Amino acid sequence: MTEEKEKKPEDIKKKAEALKCPVGKALYYMEEFLSGPMCGRCFPCSMGAYEARERLKKVTDGRGAEADIRALRRIALYMADASLCKKGKDTARFLLDWMDTGVYDEHVKGRCPAVECKGLIKYMIIPGKCVMCGDCKDACKFDAIAGEKKIAGGRAPHLSGYLPFEIRQVRCTKCGECIKVCPAEAIEAGSVTPAENIVATAGTR
Amino acid sequence: MANRVSLTIDGKVVQAPEGTNLIDAASLAGVHIPNLCYLKGMRPVGACRLCLVDVEGAKAPVIACNSKVKEGMKVVTGTEKIRETRKFIIDLILSMHPLDCMTCTKAGVCRLQGYAYDFGIKESTFTRKKFGYPTDEANPFIKRDPEYCILCSRCVRACKEQGTDVLEFMGRGVGAKVMTAGDRPLQESGCTFCGSCVDACPVNALLEADRWRKGREWDYETVNSVCLLCGNGCDITVSTKDGSVQKVNAGAVEGSVEKYICAYGRFGFDCIEADTRVTAPLKRVGGELKETTWEDALEIVAKKLKKGGSASSFITTAGILNEDALALKGLATALKSKNIATTASLYADAESLTKSQPADLDGADLIVLVGLNPSQWQRALPALDAGIRRRVSRGAKLIVINSSETKLSEAATLNLKGDEADILKGLAKAVVERGAPAEGPWADKALKAAVSGAVSSEEMDKAGEMFNAAKSPVIFASPALFGASANLTLIKGAAVAVPIESNARGVALMGLMDGAMTYKEMVSRGSMTLLYTIGEVPLRKRPGVDFLIVQNSHMTELATQADIVLPSAAFLESAGTMADYMGRLKYLPCAVEPQGEALPHRDIFIGLGKALGVSIKKPTEAEVKRAMKTKAKPSLSPFEKVKGLEVEPGELIESINASVINGSRLLWLKEAQPAAV
Repeated sequence: MTEEKEKKPEDIKKKAEALKCPVGKALYYMEEFLSGPMCGRCFPCSMGAYEARERLKKVTDGRGAEADIRALRRIALYMADASLCKKGKDTARFLLDWMDTGVYDEHVKGRCPAVECKGLIKYMIIPGKCVMCGDCKDACKFDAIAGEKKIAGGRAPHLSGYLPFEIRQVRCTKCGECIKVCPAEAIEAGSVTPAENIVATAGTR
Repeated sequence: MANRVSLTIDGKVVQAPEGTNLIDAASLAGVHIPNLCYLKGMRPVGACRLCLVDVEGAKAPVIACNSKVKEGMKVVTGTEKIRETRKFIIDLILSMHPLDCMTCTKAGVCRLQGYAYDFGIKESTFTRKKFGYPTDEANPFIKRDPEYCILCSRCVRACKEQGTDVLEFMGRGVGAKVMTAGDRPLQESGCTFCGSCVDACPVNALLEADRWRKGREWDYETVNSVCLLCGNGCDITVSTKDGSVQKVNAGAVEGSVEKYICAYGRFGFDCIEADTRVTAPLKRVGGELKETTWEDALEIVAKKLKKGGSASSFITTAGILNEDALALKGLATALKSKNIATTASLYADAESLTKSQPADLDGADLIVLVGLNPSQWQRALPALDAGIRRRVSRGAKLIVINSSETKLSEAATLNLKGDEADILKGLAKAVVERGAPAEGPWADKALKAAVSGAVSSEEMDKAGEMFNAAKSPVIFASPALFGASANLTLIKGAAVAVPIESNARGVALMGLMDGAMTYKEMVSRGSMTLLYTIGEVPLRKRPGVDFLIVQNSHMTELATQADIVLPSAAFLESAGTMADYMGRLKYLPCAVEPQGEALPHRDIFIGLGKALGVSIKKPTEAEVKRAMKTKAKPSLSPFEKVKGLEVEPGELIESINASVINGSRLLWLKEAQPAAV
C-alpha cells in the first residue's frame, strides 16, 4: 500500500463541482469517496454510500425511477444522523445539497439538463461543421465512428460525395476523446429522445 | 461493590452500577436496545449505530454502547426518528444478506432476523447485493460462510481479544470480508477451533459445521452444565434434541472473561455416542470379555471386594463428581481400605487443593501466574489462558513467573524467569519492604523474617510495586507452588491452585486425598490383590494385580485387560456437583440419559454396597456443602516448590481424555492439524 495522503471529502467535493450536472457530481463524489476516505467503520455510512452509488449509477444511466430518488433522499437523511464521524455526515449533506436542485427528477424523466450524464445523452457530428479530417475516427478506441476521410480540397465536405462521418450510437461510450481532437468543434453532446433512451437501456433495466 | 447511580430509561427508574453502559443499564430495566456489534465486556466500537438513543439535554442521539450511565440521566430508547434510523440500517444490511430464513440454521436466534421482524421488513428496499464468496467447510468444527456476514466484527474482536487472532477484515465497507491470513482455510490459520467466534456471530456466518438440518434453536432443550475435561471446569450450555447432545456453547455469564470453551468442551460430546462406549457390564470368560447383567457383575465384584477387604485398592480420576467421590469414600470405608489414589496426586497435594482460595478473575487488576503454562494451542488449561489474555486486554496487569518459557509471557506486563520459589520470595521481600504502612499486614513479623534472606532484583522490585499498587491481585499457581504463592495473600489478594483435572478440588475436599496414597505409589507397587479403577486413568498396561475392575464410560486400553468392566455414565449423563479451581460449587444436571445400561459412578458404588450387605447412602447436597466448607486462612508456608508433582499438563489432559478425543471429531485435530505453534 502506498502512503498516499488520504483525500478529504471536501477536496473530492471541490473536484466534483467542476462537473455541471448535480447527479454526475454526486456519482463522481460517491465513487471517489468509496475508494478513498470512506473508512467502513460504521454501517450507515459504508453501506449507505455504497447503495447511494448504485442508485446514482442507475439515474445517470437513464435507468432511474422515482423510487431511486426516494431511496437517495432516505439514505442522505439517515446517513447524516446516524454516521459515526464527520466524513459520513458531510457526505450525506453534500448529497442532500445536490439533490435539492430538482434536476434529479429531470433525470428520471430522461433528460440531463447539463447534457453530461452518459445514459441520457448522445454524441453527434454536425455535418455542416465537419471537415472530414478523420481525427475523431483515429482517436476513437471503440470504433464507434464511421466515415471516409477526405483527401484534398474541393466542395463543402458534406456535399463531396464521400461517406460522411457519423457516430454509431450503440458503440459510443461517450468518453469524449473525439470531442477533444476535433479541430472544427463539429462534435456535440445532446439529449436523447425518450424513445432513444428506451432503446439504449433495453435489457439493462 | 461499585457505586450505583439512578437514571430513567423509557420512564423506568433504574439503579445501575457506576461505569455501566446504557445497553446494559437498559437490560436491567428490561428494555432491549437493538444492537449488532456490541459485545458485552469488550470495548464498544459503535459500528452498527443501531443502539442510538435520545438522552435528555444532548444535542443529538448518542450510541448507548459507548455511553456510561450518569446520575439523573433521562434516556428514551425508541423515538419515532430513532426507530426509522434503525429500520434504515437493518434495511441496508438486509440488502446484502441472503433471505433464506426458512432453511437457515440460525433462524430463531438470528439477531438480524429478529430485528427485521421487529421493524417489519419483509425484503430490503435497497439494491440486492451478492458477492459469491465460497464457504469454508474444510474442517469438521466451524463452517464459515461470508455470504451471511453482516460485518459486525464481533468474531474478529472475540478472536483478537483472547489472543488467537486468526480473523481479520479484508477491505472495507460493503465489499469487506472476514478472513484468515491469506484467506487460507481455518486449519491452516493457527485456529484452535475453540468456537468463540461461533458464539459471537449474530447471524449464520459462523456456525458449528454439523448443524445443517439437525434442528434449530427452538427444537432444543437447553441446560447449563460444566465441562469436565480439564482443570478449568468451564461453564457450558448443552443443547439436546431427541435425547442426544446437539451442541455445546460457552455458558459463563455474558461479559465475563471466563465465557470461553475450547474445542474439547465444544465438540468432545460426540464421544457420548461413540462406538467405544461400554453399554453393558463385561466379565472375562475364558480369556474374553463377555456381556453380562448388572446383577451378575455386582455380585462378582462384591465377592472379590469382600475377599480383598482392606487390601482392595482404588484409583480414581479427579474428573468424577463430588457425589461420586463421597460414595467411593463410603465404599472404601466399608471395606476399611485406605488404598485410594487419585490422579490428582500426580500434580497436586491435598493441602494446596483444599486451601486454594476463592477468586474473581473478572475483578482482578493484577494477575500473577506462577509455574503455570496455560495454552489454548496445546489445550492445556485453555480457558485460563484465554481468560487472562482477555483480562489483560481489558486493563489488568500480568506478571508471569516461570522457570521455563511460557506462551502467555507474550501478553505479560512483566516476565520473571527463574526458580519460581526464589522469585516469589524476592517478590514478597519487595512487597513487604515497599509496602508503605508500618502497620497492618506489611508489618507481619513472621513474613518479614521469612523473606529476609531473599535475593532481590530490579524486576522483582518492579513486580513488588505492581503488587502493592494493585487493588485485587489474583495469583494463579501450580499446586506445587501454591504454598509459596499464598504467602503473598497474607498482604492482599487471593491465591488459586490450578489443578489439571476438573474436580480435583472437589475430590480433595470430599476427602479422597486424606491419608491416601499417591497415584505413583499405587502403580509402582509390585503386586495387588485387587485394583478398582474409576474413570479414565492414565494407565495403559495392567499393573501386577490379581483382579482388575475397570469402571469407565468407554472401552480403554486398560479396560481390554480388565477382569470385569463396569459401564459408567459419561460426562453430561450424570447429575451432581463439582468444585472448580476457583472454589465455586457448580451444579451439573443430567443433560442426556446414560447410554445402554451405563450408570453414574455413585449408583454403582451404592449397588456394590448392597451386594456387600453394607449401606452406602446416596450423598446429599448438604453433605457436599459441609465438605466444601474450608477454614482456609492464609498461613505462612516455606518459599519452596513441593517436589514430585511435575507433570506435563497437555499430555495428562490428552491421556485422561483419550476416549473423548478418539471417539469424537477431535480426532481430526490430531490427524489433520499439525501441532499448532
